[in-house]
Amino acid sequence: MNSRRDFLKQISGAALAAGAAPSLLTWALPQEQSVAVPGEDGMILRSFRFVDLETPVEYFNSWLTPVPHFFVRNHMHEPSELDAHDWRLTVGGEVEKPLTLSLSELSKIETHSVVNTLECAGNGRNLHRPQVPGIQWGKGAVSTARFSGPRLRDVLQRAGVKPTGKHVMFRGLDEVPGKVPPFIRSIPIEKALDADTLIATHMNGSPLTRHHGFPARTLVPGWIGAASCKWLTEIKLLDAEFVGNFMSPGYRFPNQPAKPGDAVKPEDTHPLTALNVKSVISGPSEGASLKAGKIAVHGAAWAGEGDITKVEISTDGGASWSPAKLGHDQAHYAWRLWSYDWKAGQSGDYTIQSRATDSLGRTQPTTAVWNPSGYLYNAVDQVKIHVA
Amino acid sequence: MSPNALKPRGNVHVCSDVEACGNVEERRFRAAVSVTDDAGFSPCGRISRPAFAASALLAILALMTASPFSLQAQKTIPASVTADLPAGAMQAKATASCLECHEARIIVQQRLSKGAWTKEVDKMVKWGAVVDPADRDALIDYLSINFSPDKPAYDPQRTSGDKKISK
Repeated sequence: MNSRRDFLKQISGAALAAGAAPSLLTWALPQEQSVAVPGEDGMILRSFRFVDLETPVEYFNSWLTPVPHFFVRNHMHEPSELDAHDWRLTVGGEVEKPLTLSLSELSKIETHSVVNTLECAGNGRNLHRPQVPGIQWGKGAVSTARFSGPRLRDVLQRAGVKPTGKHVMFRGLDEVPGKVPPFIRSIPIEKALDADTLIATHMNGSPLTRHHGFPARTLVPGWIGAASCKWLTEIKLLDAEFVGNFMSPGYRFPNQPAKPGDAVKPEDTHPLTALNVKSVISGPSEGASLKAGKIAVHGAAWAGEGDITKVEISTDGGASWSPAKLGHDQAHYAWRLWSYDWKAGQSGDYTIQSRATDSLGRTQPTTAVWNPSGYLYNAVDQVKIHVA
Repeated sequence: MSPNALKPRGNVHVCSDVEACGNVEERRFRAAVSVTDDAGFSPCGRISRPAFAASALLAILALMTASPFSLQAQKTIPASVTADLPAGAMQAKATASCLECHEARIIVQQRLSKGAWTKEVDKMVKWGAVVDPADRDALIDYLSINFSPDKPAYDPQRTSGDKKISK
């Protein structure tokens, strides 16, 4: 009996050969293998309870990810009750005038839009060796959307930040099971006051859906997804970084590269902030069998607070590299789609690799830095294919 | 000025929901902020202004007839959409201890050494998992035997996006 993976390989090869749109691949999935999650179409189901959904790389074919294809990362249960009329956002701590805002009041503040590539810090975790615990994301805990809403700084200025307000803590309405520490994190005041840091209420022009933090979330552009708090209900100015599980030991990275498998002491780590430089190949798909001739290699590349300056492709195991063409659509915190027309002359097995470089001078490494929680995997991407 | 403001806009129509731009959050949002025009918030591009006005009216009607609005609790879901733990002497106890807070997929996708499973079990006990101390070692053995690094790679399912919840 064929496994679903074999089936996928067969239909993806056939669909690519026929020039079919990648979205057809999902449509053609056998129904008994899929799990219905309303509004979430063709996503890789990492967990249903709580909801963690990965975007298949074949969806990396539009600059803005449609919301039904945008990855979902929850640490807890989503709020069981979300009432837009009763929802309030409080701003307190080290401020002159503590505030409480309704959604109506928030919506009267000038709106700003930022196109941002949001990536979970643990994206690519299942590619680290030795393997580490956590949601076993493949390559698709990353998506791009236009987020809109008031600037966080406009709300903070209404409350008046005291000189002692150095870090900004966010608390969401997610429901905590058992004695699990609540998902509360903080960001430094400098990033909070950046003109592109938002209290987003909209995504791609429509109000946030429940999975993405309705009715309001923070959007901390260029930073790991965990910095952007969903179902936001409390902002608190602190004189120091928030102390809690999701600031330490969670979401920290070793100061020095660790030997794979080694434990790392908390004092030898720092909190994760901006994303690193990375590219992913969205086509051809892994294991595809293709005819010799012109083969379209394509994908996406992003760099957190940096801008992608080039993406290079190798089809000979890294011996030589050729530049890919970068897509027209771009924004400071958004990925660039890229493509490369490869003329595959001879039949055989090939490894296609992609390597991105950014404006901060960073280039994807051959091997990602192993770390105990499997964060920031960004090794040169590769797919193995057969040319007939 | 933000670099984003200078960049070209994408020409891709993107809608936040499969229901032809009429998602429930959108209706609630509009009702809550009493939007009378689209200043500040642009409604989904597919909705014409008359259609937008009609949907706002519908939202108000819905509010009058169906209050309070509460989204379906995620915890009350049919068991069929979640995975099961594998058979074994510890299956029932592991199910009781672990699946109270999360479903089995979070466990069955892991490929960890016994040392790593030991850390996970002890962390989860600290976070409220109820494990009889007499069962701790057997639970660690059960997890590290079934989900060790040498097991075949986990093959996840896909979502279908259908309205009906079924397997």
